[in-house]
Amino acid sequence: MNNTLIHLSSSPYSSLACKEGLDLALVLATFEQTVDICVSDAALSLLYIDQNPDKIHGKHLYKLLDGLEFYDIENIYIEQASELASETSIWSGTKALNTQDWHTLFSQYQHVFRF
Amino acid sequence: MHYALLITGSPYQTKACHSALQFLTTALTNKEHILEGVFFYEDAVLICNALPQPPRDEIDLRKEWKALAKTHHIPLYLCIAASVRRGIIDEPESQRYELSQHSLSEGFQLEGLGTFVELMNSTSKIIQFR
Repeated sequence: MNNTLIHLSSSPYSSLACKEGLDLALVLATFEQTVDICVSDAALSLLYIDQNPDKIHGKHLYKLLDGLEFYDIENIYIEQASELASETSIWSGTKALNTQDWHTLFSQYQHVFRF
Repeated sequence: MHYALLITGSPYQTKACHSALQFLTTALTNKEHILEGVFFYEDAVLICNALPQPPRDEIDLRKEWKALAKTHHIPLYLCIAASVRRGIIDEPESQRYELSQHSLSEGFQLEGLGTFVELMNSTSKIIQFR
């Protein structure tokens, strides 16, 4: 059994990378692989509540977040040091890690894929 | 060691496909390690489009990949969802979407992400080029 970390770092609004990273996470979970997600850099904008993208902005990825638990994807990490960690206007399902734990995170998985 | 490659970087915007090709050209000389397959995802699937014609004095990356795969019997998979949305379509998909053309280069095969999961489970390392 593999454990995999999907690292989202691309903006959900500038390319398909974030969406296709989430797609891979969902497929892995469907195949009963253990999957965690971590979010950094421009991908953090995925977490803002009250997003209202039009069709031209792409799929409403924020809506996917609440569904992750149904795929048994329960660990969505962000770094505590990121400005967003103290925001109340972000999705409530994230776990904020201190800098040391954040750095350790990447060595705890058999596979780490970045999107 | 059994390993596989995941390539996600566009052949036009990044050097992911170039670097992966260079990596394999060297890595395959080492018979201790066994490559189980290469999986193209995201914009990397664009390399499998049969139609682009690079200038004659530039590398034809698709042909290079095909040649390497043929020599070493490497399966080259690409994600079907990522491909179809980018216009990389094989004959069965072309029929399914009622199109009159198909664009997938020979030597590559469309597969679901489930095939990538199988690669993950049958190897000890996946190397991503992005």
